[in-house]
Amino acid sequence: MNGYGGSILRVNLTEGKITKEPTSAQVARDFIGGRGFGIYFLFKEVPRQADPLGPDNKLIISTGPLSGMLAPGGGKCDWTTKSPLTGGYADASLGGHFTAEMKYAGLDTIILEGASPKPVYLFIENDKIQLLDASTLWGKGAIDVEVELKHKYGEEFQIAAIGPGGENQVLYACINHDFGRQAGRGGIGAVMGSKRVKAIVLHGTKSVPVADTDGYRKAGMALYKACKDAEGLAEWSRYGTTVVTSWCDEVGALPTRNFSAGSFEQGPGIYGQTMRKEIVVTDKGCFGCPSPCGKYSNMKRYNTQVEGPEYETIGMMGSNLGIGDIQAVAEANRLADDLGIDSISAGGCIGWAMECYEKGIFTKADTDGLELKFGNIEAVFALIKKIAYREGKIGNLLALGTKRAAQQVGQGSEKFAIQVKGMEQSAYATHNATAMLLAYMTCDVGAHHNRSWAITYDLQVGRDKVVPEKVARIIWLQNFRPMFDVLGSCRLQWVELGIDRDLYCPLLESITGINRSWADLEAVGNRIWNLTRMYWARENEDFGREWDLPSPRFYTEPPKTGVTAGQITKYEDVQKLLDMYYQQRGWDPNGIPTQGTLETLNLSSMVA
Amino acid sequence: MTATIRPLGILKTYIGELKETSVDAGRSIRETIIQIGINPDLVAGVFVNDEQQTKDYILQDGDIVKLLAVIGGG
Repeated sequence: MNGYGGSILRVNLTEGKITKEPTSAQVARDFIGGRGFGIYFLFKEVPRQADPLGPDNKLIISTGPLSGMLAPGGGKCDWTTKSPLTGGYADASLGGHFTAEMKYAGLDTIILEGASPKPVYLFIENDKIQLLDASTLWGKGAIDVEVELKHKYGEEFQIAAIGPGGENQVLYACINHDFGRQAGRGGIGAVMGSKRVKAIVLHGTKSVPVADTDGYRKAGMALYKACKDAEGLAEWSRYGTTVVTSWCDEVGALPTRNFSAGSFEQGPGIYGQTMRKEIVVTDKGCFGCPSPCGKYSNMKRYNTQVEGPEYETIGMMGSNLGIGDIQAVAEANRLADDLGIDSISAGGCIGWAMECYEKGIFTKADTDGLELKFGNIEAVFALIKKIAYREGKIGNLLALGTKRAAQQVGQGSEKFAIQVKGMEQSAYATHNATAMLLAYMTCDVGAHHNRSWAITYDLQVGRDKVVPEKVARIIWLQNFRPMFDVLGSCRLQWVELGIDRDLYCPLLESITGINRSWADLEAVGNRIWNLTRMYWARENEDFGREWDLPSPRFYTEPPKTGVTAGQITKYEDVQKLLDMYYQQRGWDPNGIPTQGTLETLNLSSMVA
Repeated sequence: MTATIRPLGILKTYIGELKETSVDAGRSIRETIIQIGINPDLVAGVFVNDEQQTKDYILQDGDIVKLLAVIGGG
């Protein structure tokens, strides 16, 4: 099948059984790949009410038709599962070089199912596929494991591994790859840990059939040329995502002290320009990337190195924790990566715990003696380790995420647990940015920015405006942006360089032989969006409107400092946003797709 | 004593296709871009002679300032 590896690899870890089946042409037509394949298999194969950390849950890793191809940033695959953090749908996109090797091994999807009785790693070299003993790797950091397996098998092998966080089933444990790329959010690493899979090692040398070789070359090179010619390429490449840090501070979007404000008085200490001067050694890109956003950093004070930090980690482990020191943030990033926990959720959890401590809800008896004040760098390092190893009362509590932790602690701490659907909000403060607030409220994995991002749009239209156009913008982005996670390529070339997205269509057609416009692709995106929504509803009996509410902080507590001081989104506007969103989506007032909507999208039989 | 302001990429469409402009040095980038009709909130990246700066940077003679917007976020 043109554009595909051709096979689905199924690994039954309970029985140690490995089988292959051909990729279905019908599923490829309907769901294309990546997160489309992910939700298809998740909805179809994982039984209702499955324990996310039990053997019934599955971990589904899927490439897309652009993965491993002549496409800018074509190094993306998608990891889908039922989230142990949220109890709903989760998928996380992984960059680096894993995806291309997976495609060249002839694999469109790897499905990990069941649970191994002992630690194993999955070894794939084309058709040689084995489950191997990982008892000597268990307990080691994800980076250390990658180094060890690279030495064992060679540089051409790509490795995705969990750290102790995944082994200990921290609910927001992540997958690490390429010394600094993650499938980060929603607890994908905890699911892999529950199956006792420490790592996947793979290398492939097969070719991928394409429909039109000449057209493929031309369309691929046209995209690369557009990237090369794009204004801003040098600036984005030099600073990566950290380019926005100072701007977020300036416009009140930089999460500060557990999102109690959106501007940070020590902000310059963590700005991108400070990072570039103080710690960055060189740039790093993923497979086929013309605009490398990754940065290798050297932290002289700690004598350590890391890939990063990205903006998100700077926001969540820097300003959100009251830390204005880029070396400290980078070291916290390194610890989180090696120990295998999502730095965004970890920053959210630690920020919440610090606020609990400063408000007197926690004492040192609750924190294993840690002085959990904002800005205490050593306490942050200690807490990251405690979380990853679920050590002590505080480590165990924070390993659950802020929603569950706040439910246990009570005393009003639920109001400043900054999460939606159980996932900690990523690094954009939304006290007065209604489109971005709606983006977080309705994101299909929880409070994450990857589906739609609208800070600039809020500033253009008017940050407190609650109008149908804002809602329509969010829906359009939600249907469009995740299609990059379906196709298997990075969205940052569109996001950062603003290249013409229509250039992707001839490339996709030349690879697959199927003509698709962006309208066609957005229709697939809309279908997937509704299916992920139905998954949430299927797995959670009380699922509905209440699940879409943001943290009360954003409609009850205006910041006292910074450019958004005194500003807030009214609760009635939060509800109005949801009313408009559900109406435009074709969902009922409780946020469930109507039968008519499901029929229009040809999903009725699948969700019945 | 002049500097050059050069909007990049999509930012140009936000500000009415404003092209490269020569401005007086000696004032902050924020003051300068407001005066030439650019909403500073829409400018996410300011690069002076290829190094990122904040909008509080005081323009020097001969500076080349590139301005970047963010359309899609992370």
